[in-house]
Amino acid sequence: MKETGIFRNTLLGLSFILFVGALYLIFVYVPTEEGMGIVQRIFYFHVPVAWIAFLAFFIVFLGSIMYLWKRESKWDVIASSSAEVGVIFTTLVLITGSIWAKPIWGAWWTWDARLTTALILWLIYIAYLLVRSYATHEQQAARFAAIVGIVGFVDVPIVALAITLWRTQHPSPVIFQGGLAPPMLLTLLVCLAAFTTLYSLLLIQRASIKNAEGEVGKLKELCS
Amino acid sequence: MENAGYLLAAFTIIWAVVFGYMLLLFNRQRSLRREINSLRDALKEKEPNSR
Amino acid sequence: MRFWHKAIAITWKDTLSEIRTREIIFSVLVFTLLVIVIFNFAFGTSQEMMALVAPGMLWVTFAFAGVLSLNRSFILEKEEGCLEGLMVSPISREAIYVGKMLGSLLFMLIIEAIALPIFAFLFNLPILSLQIVIITVLTTVGFVAVGTLFSALAVNTKAREMVLSILFLPIVAPIIICAVKASDSALSGEPWSSLFPWLRIIGAFDAIFLVVSFLIFAYVIEE
Repeated sequence: MKETGIFRNTLLGLSFILFVGALYLIFVYVPTEEGMGIVQRIFYFHVPVAWIAFLAFFIVFLGSIMYLWKRESKWDVIASSSAEVGVIFTTLVLITGSIWAKPIWGAWWTWDARLTTALILWLIYIAYLLVRSYATHEQQAARFAAIVGIVGFVDVPIVALAITLWRTQHPSPVIFQGGLAPPMLLTLLVCLAAFTTLYSLLLIQRASIKNAEGEVGKLKELCS
Repeated sequence: MENAGYLLAAFTIIWAVVFGYMLLLFNRQRSLRREINSLRDALKEKEPNSR
Repeated sequence: MRFWHKAIAITWKDTLSEIRTREIIFSVLVFTLLVIVIFNFAFGTSQEMMALVAPGMLWVTFAFAGVLSLNRSFILEKEEGCLEGLMVSPISREAIYVGKMLGSLLFMLIIEAIALPIFAFLFNLPILSLQIVIITVLTTVGFVAVGTLFSALAVNTKAREMVLSILFLPIVAPIIICAVKASDSALSGEPWSSLFPWLRIIGAFDAIFLVVSFLIFAYVIEE
């Protein structure tokens, strides 16, 4: 427990520093984008959160495969923890995307290709979490969730492709296009680093809680 | 500075959700640790008896 | 060849039992008709509205009918204890998957073959074209490829019908989108070339998920 404590505190400190840096870059350093004004700065959090959500679901995919192969509960713990964090991050993608869309395009939801894909992803991984609660016992929950985790992730590129093709037929307001000037790129990368650290921290924290709950269960059995 | 409200809302929500989640996790961790320790103590007390 | 014998045996078993009871096809068919009629009331009956709404209506109807039919197929297995029997027999899990999948495919195609002319009749649209048929067959294959896997899963959980809808619909969302757009093009009389981008995606979905579900199915029904 001790080593993970130190590791966790390092992650916490590191993410704090990165976020302070990120906030400085976003609000002081980076110039305002001409087209959209200051609202565009949402982009610097919105995009990294989306990438990390995708990373989270990739981890769910890997964890699910490993669980079905090795049947060790640690893989299921990793997969389910990552799914939970991934769903939270995807929710943030949807909310911030919506808040961004409203002043720019006048509507909260515009069926933009990327946000719609995020919505489907959100639904798939909500289903992942729900399947766990509807299963009849622990191992079945882990097994069924792993199946959803694998099928869901395989579906992701197809969803993205189909929705993108669908939207090119009716070009809708796009959230962001065009190249990135160096200061914007730097800001984006720092934010990405900050959120990656945050994701790792949340994943480890959530996983250790699941492990602790498992231990409580075992201890209770021994006691009774 | 027209849409500053939206900018603020977006960042506030991100902070609130992330902070709230972290708070939840840390609290859960703490109560679980307490439970594990008390269970371990209870187990230690049982052992001399069951031998 | 043994593999296909066993798989077809399962398909045949399902077909026989369906011929005798007609449970799935009748109930799903009635459901399909009801949905069509209700959509009619919801959207009004002007010709322009019909043309606009028909592709979406068609596929929403088929998606929900598909969920129903897939659900029934495995619930019957579970209730009669048939699933355990199948698993104890020397039939590989993969053969069970293929057998059930072909059975569901057959039932859905029959339902669609009946529903499409009814659509054509009610909406006065050129629905009985080769284009629509191809789109329907391709998409249905995708439905049953994933649906067989998920309904076997759902039937073992606490809230069967709900679980299948929650799982199935987001996963097949991409091919529903493609089917609707392709049907829209087909109904507007556009050439095959405008259908190809959509059909390619549906085809890729089918190929990928037939393989993935085939490989994973064993993990669903182990117990």
